[in-house]
Amino acid sequence: MHAPKRLSFAFGLALAAAGMAQAAPAPSASQRIDSLEQRLAQSQKLIEQLGAEVHALQAQIAQQAAARPAAAAAAEPAPPAAADQSERLASVEHQVEQITASSNSAHGEDRGLPLHGFADVGVGNHNPLTPANKGAAVGSVDFYLAPQLGEHTRGLVELNFEVGEDGGVGVDLERTQLGYQFGNTGTLWLGRFHTPYGYWNTAFHHGMQIATSLRRPRFLAFEDQGGILPAHSTGVWFTGNQRTGAGKLGYDLYVTNAQAIDGGVLDMRQAGNADGQVTVGGRLSFQPSSLDSLQVGVSALSGRIEDAIDPANDTRLNVFALHADWDSDALEALAEVYFFRDEALPGGGSHSSTAGYLQLGYRAGRYTPYARYERTALDQADGYFAAQLSGASYHREALGLRYDIDLKSALKLELAQTHNTDGTLARPDGSYGDALLQYAVRF
Amino acid sequence: MKSRISLMAAAALLATASLAPTAQAGELYVFCNSGVTLQAADLRDVFMGEKQFAGTIKLQPADNGASQAAFLEKVLKMDAGKYSTTWTKKSFRDGVNPPPVKGTDSEAVEYAKRTPGGCSYSGSAPGGGVTVVAKL
Repeated sequence: MHAPKRLSFAFGLALAAAGMAQAAPAPSASQRIDSLEQRLAQSQKLIEQLGAEVHALQAQIAQQAAARPAAAAAAEPAPPAAADQSERLASVEHQVEQITASSNSAHGEDRGLPLHGFADVGVGNHNPLTPANKGAAVGSVDFYLAPQLGEHTRGLVELNFEVGEDGGVGVDLERTQLGYQFGNTGTLWLGRFHTPYGYWNTAFHHGMQIATSLRRPRFLAFEDQGGILPAHSTGVWFTGNQRTGAGKLGYDLYVTNAQAIDGGVLDMRQAGNADGQVTVGGRLSFQPSSLDSLQVGVSALSGRIEDAIDPANDTRLNVFALHADWDSDALEALAEVYFFRDEALPGGGSHSSTAGYLQLGYRAGRYTPYARYERTALDQADGYFAAQLSGASYHREALGLRYDIDLKSALKLELAQTHNTDGTLARPDGSYGDALLQYAVRF
Repeated sequence: MKSRISLMAAAALLATASLAPTAQAGELYVFCNSGVTLQAADLRDVFMGEKQFAGTIKLQPADNGASQAAFLEKVLKMDAGKYSTTWTKKSFRDGVNPPPVKGTDSEAVEYAKRTPGGCSYSGSAPGGGVTVVAKL
């Protein structure tokens, strides 16, 4: 795209963003409002019931007083009107207690299963994930629920609908985890989950509304959208955290089916793999008590990655990663760096590569301007990268602005320049600029 | 006469002013089911889903819409928006659901009384049947 066209397009998007921002409604008080309104309605019902009780009581007292002859009233001091009244009031009190108890039990634990999720749509001179396309596009619609199935048994199910490069809708059982919770020590999950490495993959994943930026760093994208790491895994995962005097220590350990590269894309082999190979990994993170906005961590994973097309191209993937996250009321800073030391199998040489990003954002009321730099240097002699469609190196610079329309929706504008380097015939070198707008919500 | 009225009005204003802060700074009681043993220092972790068990008892905190603003300010030190967003992230990442919301102090007390592991809070003394963990 020529520079003037690109600029005018970006300007147009900025104008659109500003227009939408001005037209945006006032922020809602909170997601509690609906719940509070329900409570209010219930309280009103209760008041109406009590009012009816009081009216009935007053009418009864008035009738009795009118019916009782004055002389008889003077002759029998034993059951005075006051005593009668207090007896009836006690009865009303008892009824109120019962109504309250009944109301409370209606709000007991069996409240159904809350369903939550995220959705995002956008427009731009390129699709943020598939740059060959341009114009308006649906990102994804994501639903998740977390049933507490018993005192120790938990579930987490996430279903994602996303639009592919050809416009078709793909459905992914993003996460299906059943777990046993060992008190405060941790939970042992079995199933398909977000692979716990670094920060981004488990912190935001499909939840674009809770991420400041408009998209993931490209090398951390999903397997079929440009990522070079297994974003999803199927296996066993133990996760938990412990609070110590110095801070909160988080830990993850997992053993999963070893992934394979199939059709140029990483596959998590969620139905199992043919050779029984596994990937083993873990993560440690620490949040100091004296600086609870900060989290730092290390991750590692290792597994034999099968090349489904060429068995001679199998690789022992060895990854070591560092991450840091600063998340205060005003400042957000994220950084992750990954070191690859892959071994060609059987008995080949080893190859070193790196990938990383740094993102800074500053929250100024509803506006959060942000900047991100991401870069990979991937050894193209490494069969692991050579076999992946997204295995070429690149670097990208991005500037963005997030505007929080309200608590649950955000509008994001991002301008970015991407440079593909050390490409091949299938993935040639080249650069392109992005001007992207996204509307992201949570519900 | 005029000056006496002015003096009386000023005195009344002063008295009102001195009483006002006491009236506004309502107390907050955080309590749990009588079978739960907790420290006040644990409350933040309990209501943020970080601490889910007290010994062998599964904790079941519940918010109280009637006193939530005071609770967020005094215990969690955050506003309603941040509380909601923090819980969205926690729920999505860890598969933990946010506390249910009770509508009144009496509902909150009743919930904690009858729910094993139940914890909540109110702006008035909860009475018997629950253990007060903190009075703020």
